Amino acid sequence: MSRRDGGRLPTAARRVIEPFVDRSVAERILISVAAILLSIAVGFAIVLVSGRIAECSTAAWTMPVTGLGFCYDPFEVYAVLFNGALGYPLAIGEPGLFNPSWTPFNLSFGLTLSETTLLIFTGLSVAVAFRAGLFNIGTQGQLVVGALATALTVLALAPLLPPGPISGIALVVVGTLAGAVGGGLWGAIPGALKAYADANEVITTIMLNFVAANVAYVLVLEVFRAEGSSVVATRYVPEYAQFSPWLFPDSSDFALLALAVGVAFIGALYYLVEHTPFGYDLRTSGVQAAAAEYGGVNAKLTTVRAMTLSGALGGVGGAVWVLMSEGRWIESVPDLGFDGITVSILAGNNPLGVLPAAFLFGVLKGGALEIGFRTDVPTELVGVLRGLIILFVAMPEFFRMAGRYAGLGSSGPGGPETTADDSTGDDGSGGDGTTGDAGAATRGGEADA
Amino acid sequence: MNPAVHLDGITKRFPGVVANDDVDLAIERGSVHALLGENGAGKTTLMNVLYGLYRPTEGTVVVEGEPRSFASPRDAIDAGIGMIHQHFMLVDPMTVWENVVLGNEPRTWGGLRVDEKAAREAVIELSERYGFDVDPDARIEDVSVGVQQRVEILKALYRGAEVLIMDEPTAVLTPQEVEELYGVFEELTEQGKTIIFISHKLGEALSAADEITVLRDGVNVGTVASEDVTREDLAEMMVGREVLMEPATTPQEPGDRVLGVTDLRVEDDRGVEAVSGVSFELRAGEVLGIAGVDGNGQSQLVEAITGMREPESGSVEYLGEPMAGATRREHIDRGMAFIPEDRHEKGLVMSYDLVQNGILGSQHEPPFAAGGRIDWNASTDHAESVIEAYDVRPPNPDADAESFSGGNQQKFIVGREFERDPDLVVATHPTRGVDIGSTEFLHDRLLELRAEGKAILLVSSKLDEVQGLSDRLAVIHEGAFTGVVDPATVTEEEIGLLMAGETLDDESVSGAAIHDAVDDGLDGDGAGDGDGAGDGDGAGDGDADDESGPNREPAADGGVEA
Repeated sequence: MSRRDGGRLPTAARRVIEPFVDRSVAERILISVAAILLSIAVGFAIVLVSGRIAECSTAAWTMPVTGLGFCYDPFEVYAVLFNGALGYPLAIGEPGLFNPSWTPFNLSFGLTLSETTLLIFTGLSVAVAFRAGLFNIGTQGQLVVGALATALTVLALAPLLPPGPISGIALVVVGTLAGAVGGGLWGAIPGALKAYADANEVITTIMLNFVAANVAYVLVLEVFRAEGSSVVATRYVPEYAQFSPWLFPDSSDFALLALAVGVAFIGALYYLVEHTPFGYDLRTSGVQAAAAEYGGVNAKLTTVRAMTLSGALGGVGGAVWVLMSEGRWIESVPDLGFDGITVSILAGNNPLGVLPAAFLFGVLKGGALEIGFRTDVPTELVGVLRGLIILFVAMPEFFRMAGRYAGLGSSGPGGPETTADDSTGDDGSGGDGTTGDAGAATRGGEADA
Repeated sequence: MNPAVHLDGITKRFPGVVANDDVDLAIERGSVHALLGENGAGKTTLMNVLYGLYRPTEGTVVVEGEPRSFASPRDAIDAGIGMIHQHFMLVDPMTVWENVVLGNEPRTWGGLRVDEKAAREAVIELSERYGFDVDPDARIEDVSVGVQQRVEILKALYRGAEVLIMDEPTAVLTPQEVEELYGVFEELTEQGKTIIFISHKLGEALSAADEITVLRDGVNVGTVASEDVTREDLAEMMVGREVLMEPATTPQEPGDRVLGVTDLRVEDDRGVEAVSGVSFELRAGEVLGIAGVDGNGQSQLVEAITGMREPESGSVEYLGEPMAGATRREHIDRGMAFIPEDRHEKGLVMSYDLVQNGILGSQHEPPFAAGGRIDWNASTDHAESVIEAYDVRPPNPDADAESFSGGNQQKFIVGREFERDPDLVVATHPTRGVDIGSTEFLHDRLLELRAEGKAILLVSSKLDEVQGLSDRLAVIHEGAFTGVVDPATVTEEEIGLLMAGETLDDESVSGAAIHDAVDDGLDGDGAGDGDGAGDGDGAGDGDADDESGPNREPAADGGVEA
């Protein structure tokens, strides 16, 4: 009984969470839009307050009626955030609604889409594991390992092939596969530990993140470091073996082809999860482990498979990061794997939802960079605004998931899994906040550089 | 004189559902009143209204002539209404008296300390007044379910209950314990207490209640004195049409051996042995019933047979092949259908629609899996055919499983498993929560499968069900068969004794006769086969006797099996 009425939650928590549990897709999208608007309202106030506290020679914005001056203009901040992320399609301070010289193939939009592309893979990685009832926090580590596998494979094979576009295609394909294999194996480890040694995947994946980061660092530092490099990084892979920017400026680190691959992955994953026997097994394990077992699903094997698939997707993310963004493996790997957790939660763990969720993250990154260029608003404050948006949008989805795991609403998975998932759910909320901030900090650093 | 409780025109609406529709009900003080109805008839909702868990949409609750409005069970308790839920709410490691006073402890030291002496004495005094045979210092975990139920009753009485509501009080009891409960009812009513109990069992209502109220679809169909009605009358009131009470089973010669279980030992989740050396065999066209109080190893036994649980030792042979190490999927693929006892946890994925639930277990099999994808058209057709054949309501394959009532969920599971074209059907409580009309249909269908030559292992806590459908009836107690009897000749008392772990005298073991019949059939089929099975059984018995200690009579076991 307690399972059905959410007996494990205090009444107050139940009252807050309950309304979010049973919602249709349309309602959830509506809630997300409302959440963005609400977060903007709160962020607006924060910008105003910070703008009052900060010191500046001329006020960027003067409040009507009261005549109070503020150092930061909240209208401008949000205009630049969203408009700038797309490269200013809307005209500012000029006649007409649209900017006549705007093309989609601009630097800012490229940066936005670059981030979107990378987050598609890590978001899918987390989502697939989640659908199987597994909380993969190790996408970051799987991405690091996959990226290194890609870089080393391409660097090793490149001298064997004549330079040219044909070799380039072959190297990109093989490199991406190597990333998938590397990430997949790295993901299979916590999967096997969970299945055969009953080790909680949350703990093992977190630990393996550190292992991955440090092992990769030492390997590159000691063995694969490019000669004369001031940072710990491998050599660059040949230009022809990278995703070609095509239409977008080189400095945007974005390739349409990679985005197309990402979108194709979304479609493929959606099909796999929703319309194949394997996907059926995976989903059933995720929502109701006991029923899956009753239906002949091998729980251990499904766990290992799901974690391998999840790791492989993270590894492909790493491959794309190397072959599209950096051109080499470099120690400062961005927090793509951690952001992938939030992307997946925003997406309701549905592959199709990963695209808009990743795009929102891309916009926030591109927009944050623009705010840094265009206004005096400190990057830290932009980080706060980003975090707010993510927090507001993720919270209803998070409540929904937490409520389901606690047994609220019309269904909840049973069995001993429930407790484990509960605690992971809490980790997730903590992770959301911190990843948002950490991500912002990283981006601030990039913008300064 | 005012009735103890008068429910005046109670209507309770939930979004989209009318659970109670203008129900009038007056219950005399000092009487036992049965609230009878099929699942979903609104019995429990009505009682929850009386107990203050729900507020009625319309109508009033009148207690002792005074209109009341309960905001919570606390108010109902203050008005002298107590409720005993189907699942007891007792603290296992605490003693009887501690449980009784829990939450209402007498205090001393200015409220800082529980006055243990006064509490204990109050509990002893109560239990003596009502003639309860309860040791106040026993721990709850050490006493039987029947005693636990009495502790629950004491709890209600301690809080000053004048009216006791009991939700399906006999569901967890052996027949003997049920008799004792009826005795408790008498004792309580003699002292002026009023008892309302919820039931869907006709016999129970007839033997225990003074008056019976039948609810159907939330409407009070009628209140009758129990001596004025027959089972058939009540069944008709519940279902709304005439019901055939006895399944028509015909004698049939069993065929080849389908399932052979030899000295099976299975542990439960806690690592405690739940099945202690069970041996039996099951032939095509035969129904073996397993009766027993819930929790005596039935679940673990069927899980071991169906590949859901690894046995500790012993063997399961299915269609002539040992099943040791076979995965659950191999069990399914070899034609084993399994109706699990827990439909919410295992039998259905609650958040899936019936189309998706219809392929649970067959998701890798054609026609549902074709070319690496799931053929949703074939799946939809399948779900629709099960829905139609088994009268699942509402007939909407796209509705999520959780939106169906328990009985309809059960019908869908049974339909899915029966239509698998299995060689063996393991059915655990196949009609639990299913209304009488549909139960009749499921029983007929089960007998059809038997006629088609399927082997059927039927586990049920409904005695009339296992007795009426089985060719042989095994009674399980604490993980071992206390006897295998002929359901046609055994009495309910004998089954009750076996369920309580007693053994029958040699003369009353009617199983020997039927086992001879089986052996005869066996010889007809092939002597070699029969000998093998006989050897296995013999070995199993030996082990079981060693383990089960002195309080079990090896002679009776041997008598049944030999």
